[in-house]
Amino acid sequence: MIEFKNVTKTFILDNRDEMTAIKNINVHIKKGEIILLEGPSGSGKSTILSLIAALSKPTNGEVTVDGKRISKLSDDFTSVFRRENIGFIFQKFNLISTLSAKENVMVPLIPSNPDEIILESRMSELFEKFSIQSKMNILVKNLSGGEQQRVAIARALVNNPSVIIADEPTANLDKKLSLDFIDIIKKLKDGINTIIIASHDPLFFDLDFIDKTISIKNGEMI
Amino acid sequence: MKNKFNIHLFEFALSSIFRRGAKNIFIFFVFTLLIFLLSSVLFISNSFKSELDKTVNVLPSIIVQRLLAGRQVSIPTSRIDKLLTIEGVSKVIPRIWGYYYFAKAGVNFSLIGIDDFGDQYKKSYSRLVEKFDFSKLTYKSQMLVGKGVEAILKSNYYDGYFNFIKPDGDFVKMTIGGVFKGDTRLESNDVILLPKQKALEIFGMSDDVATDIVLKVANPVEIPNIAKKISQMYPDCRVITKEDLVKSYQNIFDYKGGLFLVLFVISAFTFFMIIYDKASGLSSEEKKEIGILKAVGWKIDNILKEKFYEAFVISFLSFITAFCLSLFYVFFMNAPILRNIFIGYSTLKPDFILPFSFNFQTFSIIFFLTVPIYIAATIIPSWRVATMDAEEVMR
Repeated sequence: MIEFKNVTKTFILDNRDEMTAIKNINVHIKKGEIILLEGPSGSGKSTILSLIAALSKPTNGEVTVDGKRISKLSDDFTSVFRRENIGFIFQKFNLISTLSAKENVMVPLIPSNPDEIILESRMSELFEKFSIQSKMNILVKNLSGGEQQRVAIARALVNNPSVIIADEPTANLDKKLSLDFIDIIKKLKDGINTIIIASHDPLFFDLDFIDKTISIKNGEMI
Repeated sequence: MKNKFNIHLFEFALSSIFRRGAKNIFIFFVFTLLIFLLSSVLFISNSFKSELDKTVNVLPSIIVQRLLAGRQVSIPTSRIDKLLTIEGVSKVIPRIWGYYYFAKAGVNFSLIGIDDFGDQYKKSYSRLVEKFDFSKLTYKSQMLVGKGVEAILKSNYYDGYFNFIKPDGDFVKMTIGGVFKGDTRLESNDVILLPKQKALEIFGMSDDVATDIVLKVANPVEIPNIAKKISQMYPDCRVITKEDLVKSYQNIFDYKGGLFLVLFVISAFTFFMIIYDKASGLSSEEKKEIGILKAVGWKIDNILKEKFYEAFVISFLSFITAFCLSLFYVFFMNAPILRNIFIGYSTLKPDFILPFSFNFQTFSIIFFLTVPIYIAATIIPSWRVATMDAEEVMR
C-alpha cells in the first residue's frame, strides 16, 4: 500500500528561486493495483514517482510504502528499500551505455553478492521473458530503442520488486513498440505487483487493466 | 556470509576501468612514470649512501695538507715526528697521491703511491684484485689498476703496461700486475696503485715530501682538539677532520639530489594535475552513473567500495609496475643516465655496479606518497556525488 499525506515538493533552482513541483498531494494506492498518473508535461507526475521510489524526499508531508515512512529513512535505508521493493523504468531508460545488456540487468543485484548460479539463471529467465536472449552480451548503446526499453524493464524486475514504476515509458518509442510495452505491463498484472505508470500518451487512456487514473495539473490533483 | 568478499562488485570495478580505458591508460602511464622516477632516485640514493657509509668508515681521522698561496702543495715528511708527539695520535702516515693526465685519451688517472707490495699487504690486496699472481711480483715496476684504467690503456694499445712521462721528459715503464675487482669500481675505476718511490718519480717529487699526511686518532672525541693543536702548530696547513669530509660528501650528495628534484617536480606537477582534475569533480557521465547505481539500490558504501577497488587496482598496479621497473633499471641496468648525475664530474667516469640496497622504509615512503593520495582523490568526489539525492544526480 502506498500513501501520500499532504505531500509538497519544492525545488531550489540554480538562481535560488523556488519551484513547487507538487502541492498538498494525498494519494492512496492499494497493493496489486495498476495506476495511471496522467497530466501534461511538467505537471509533477515524475516528482510523485521519485517520491514513491524514495529517490528524493518531500519538502512537507509524508510518504508511506507498505507501512514504511520512507520520507523519514536515511540515505542508506532508502537505497535498500529501493533495491528490495522498487523497480523503476525511467523515461530515458537510464541504462549504463558502456555496459552490455546483461551487465545492466545485473547491476541492482551486485550489492547483495548473489551466487553465480542463481545470478545466471535469473538472467536467462528475464532475457527469455522479454525475448532478448540474443542481445545479452551486446553493449546497450548498440541496441534499438525498443530493445533498450526491454533491458530497462528486465533491470526493473530483476529483484522481484513489489512496486513497479514507469515514467513516460512510451515517450521514446514508436506506436508498435509502445503497444508491445503495454502488452508487457498487462502480463505483469498479477494482483501482487503494484504498477504505477506516469504518462500523457493517449494509448494508455481507457485500457481495461488500469485500475485507477490520477490526474495531475500544475502540481495538484484534479 | 554477510562479510564475504563481493566478487561481483570487484568485477564491476574492473569493467569500469576498461570502460574508461583511454583515460585510465593515461593515468596509469603518468602514475607509473612518476613512481618509477621517485623509486629510482631513492634506490640510487640509498645505494650511494650505503656505499658512502662504507667509505666513511675507512676515512682517516685527520688529513693535514700544506697550502701555499691558497693551493695545496707538498708537505715535508719531517713534520711526522712532531705530529706523533701530540697526545692521542696513534698513527701518522705520509701519503703520495695525485693525478696523471693521459693526453692521448684526454683522461686523468688517480695515482696512489704505497710503501710497497710487502707481505703484510698481500692478503688485503688479494681480496681486492683479480688477475694478480703475488708470487710473481716484481715489486718495483708493477702497478694495480682499476677496470676503467685497464680499458683506456688497452684501447690505446698499451697492452699490460704503461709508459709514464716524468716532468723532465723521461719515461717510467710500469706493467699491470693486477686489476681491481668490479665491485670496487666506485672507488677504484680510475685508480693506479704503485710503489711510493715510483709515484714520487712520476710526480717529480723528492723523497722528503708527501702529498699530505693522515693521522689516526684512537678516541674520536679527541679529533677536534687534536685538529686545533695541529692548526696552531702549523699555521700554513689545512687540517681536515673526518667530520668535515663526511659533511662535504653529504653536501655534494644533497646537491645532486636537488637536480633530481627538478625532474621530479615536473612529473609531480603532471600527477597533481590529474589529482586536481579528479578531486575537483566527476564528469557528467560519471555522475549520472552514480545516480543510476543509487536509483537501482546501491548504498553509498557500495559505490565507495567500487570506486576504491577501481582506484586501488590502477594505483597499486602502477606502483608495482613502476617499482619492479625501477628495480630492474637501477640494479640490473645499472641506472643509465640518472646514475651519471650522482657520480658527477670526473674525466674517467667510474663504471661501477650499484650495490643492491633495499629497505622497507623506502618502499613505504613511495607507497604512502602515491597510492593513498590517488585513492583519496578518486573517492572524495564520488562520495560527494553519492551523498546527493539520486534524482538530483541523474537530472
